[in-house]
Amino acid sequence: MGENLKIISQHFDDPQARHLDHYETHGGYRMARKSSSMAPGDIHGEVKASNLRGRGGAGFPTGVKWGFVPKDAETVYLVVNADESEPGTFKDRHILFWNPHMLLEGMIIAARSLGVRNAYIYIRGEMQREFRVLQDAVDQAYAKGYLGEGIFGSDFDLDITICRGLGAYICGEETALLSSLEGGRGWPRLKPPFPAVKGLWGQPTIVNNVETIANLPWILEHGGQAFADLGVGRSGGLRLVSVCGHVNNPGVYELPLTVTGNDLIEMCGGMREGKAVKGIIPGGVSMPVLTADELDVPFEFDALQNDERIREVETAPGVKFDLGGGRTLRTMAGSGGVVVMDETTDITKAAWRILHFFADESCGQCTPCREGTGWLASVAHRVAFGHGRAGDVELMASIADGIAGNTICALGDAAAWPTLAFLTKFRGEFEDKVKNSHDAAPAGAAGGAP
Amino acid sequence: MTAKQLTPEIEAWIEQRWSRFPEGAAGKALTLGVLYQAQETFGHVDTEVIDIVADRLGVTAAHVRGVATFYTMINARDVGRYHLQVCTNIGCMLDGAYELFDRCKARLGVQNKGTTADGNVTLSEVECLAACGYGPVAQIAERGKPEIPLYFEHLDEKKIDAILDALEAGNVPTELGR
Repeated sequence: MGENLKIISQHFDDPQARHLDHYETHGGYRMARKSSSMAPGDIHGEVKASNLRGRGGAGFPTGVKWGFVPKDAETVYLVVNADESEPGTFKDRHILFWNPHMLLEGMIIAARSLGVRNAYIYIRGEMQREFRVLQDAVDQAYAKGYLGEGIFGSDFDLDITICRGLGAYICGEETALLSSLEGGRGWPRLKPPFPAVKGLWGQPTIVNNVETIANLPWILEHGGQAFADLGVGRSGGLRLVSVCGHVNNPGVYELPLTVTGNDLIEMCGGMREGKAVKGIIPGGVSMPVLTADELDVPFEFDALQNDERIREVETAPGVKFDLGGGRTLRTMAGSGGVVVMDETTDITKAAWRILHFFADESCGQCTPCREGTGWLASVAHRVAFGHGRAGDVELMASIADGIAGNTICALGDAAAWPTLAFLTKFRGEFEDKVKNSHDAAPAGAAGGAP
Repeated sequence: MTAKQLTPEIEAWIEQRWSRFPEGAAGKALTLGVLYQAQETFGHVDTEVIDIVADRLGVTAAHVRGVATFYTMINARDVGRYHLQVCTNIGCMLDGAYELFDRCKARLGVQNKGTTADGNVTLSEVECLAACGYGPVAQIAERGKPEIPLYFEHLDEKKIDAILDALEAGNVPTELGR
């Protein structure tokens, strides 16, 4: 395989690529056609061998997830999560806009393997342009007989329906997405049961990210082993990474999983104005920040979780945060949304903006998250904007620790983890803000605030 | 004034989609889609629209109200002819989005979610639009024109001024968007 191999992104920026005929001239739909007469278990075998891991955030092995569907299930649904809204992440939007047929082809392959008759794409409401491109692609595929009844002349029937969200970050969480797809509020559900066992309308449902599914045609063409060989360890393939912030050439890059934070900055043309890097968020704003001296670790799922060069997140100086079962937290690869912050960045303001977002997007079901994210945003705001009070740094850590692990879905953790990481790694900046607060009692003053 | 009703286009959309959902589940499942299209028709979603949608889909008004109030893209009141939505989330903030948002507020004379007195422009601060590498980013929606909205990327003072000038003159500067 060449060094510059591209699986998904090679036709990004080519406006013709989104037309079915053009997609076919590059070999498109051959694997969908092949899959329509394949034994479902053979497709699943290739996906398992590929070490493909979910590209939405959790990095769960796709083949294992598919294996959770009960063998005797009569109705199985496939849902593609196109609700990309994790700040810093903008890769799926590129697939939807430039390469929609690769997603549809991947869906046909997945549906064939899982025994799906009805598949749905849940696309973010704000992505109106991408919705129109995707709907055009679906219409073209129906017109060609690649969707509907007896596709490719086989006995395999598949309908794909696009459903649009209406503006709610939480609907990117897979059980919230299912609640929304069923027509309700985007409220997450307790797991277990997992959607693969009991999902949409109570039936086994596989929810996969856009990028995850778009890898399937390549896997089927070249074999699962070839995909696994592209990766490292338990993670197969390449990865789309979206980079924003203070680099010269932000954008979407398809890269090997061995790429480190420092490599990434270099590939993006270096830091803007030659400034030094202060911190990088490696996988969407839910993920703990990395400091400049932690950027030699590959941006791969297991490495970011386990590499000892990355400092463990703490709830107080010297007290490690307990992820559950005695595990500690470094960071995670998440959604591949990389935010690069240079030395001029006010970390306290960055932290506030992230927490403001989570407070806004909490669905309100669980008290620790509904109340806690609001408190965090409010305390972070007063600290960042010069009105911090003594004890605010400890207060933020205590609120975050109270949310983590105590909610139905991961949104609570998504607010708590970055908070604790910012406080662990940039504690001095928060403490300085509090010390120099406009509201601090002048030295020697009698008494404190009433 | 005649009572509001769903357009033939919405009716056709419901008909076409109904069979894609399991028996008994379609009415509820179509709530989001019908609400959004009803809002495009009527400008906003009020009690009357909620009742119409609930009646047509065979679900309770309480359910429809619950959905309408959960999602940020459903408006209880009219927005302006143009809805200027500026992202200030982390990627855009690092690129100076708050300074531009302040400029919009000053020029339009409105606060966040405010509408100009002539009803021309509503200004909203929005969360991440998934274009973080090209910030600051804004999206403009024009009422009754589904081919809009466009994304406006790499905004700076000059570009924001050009956009605001164009909106004031009654057009969306599509050449600046994509």
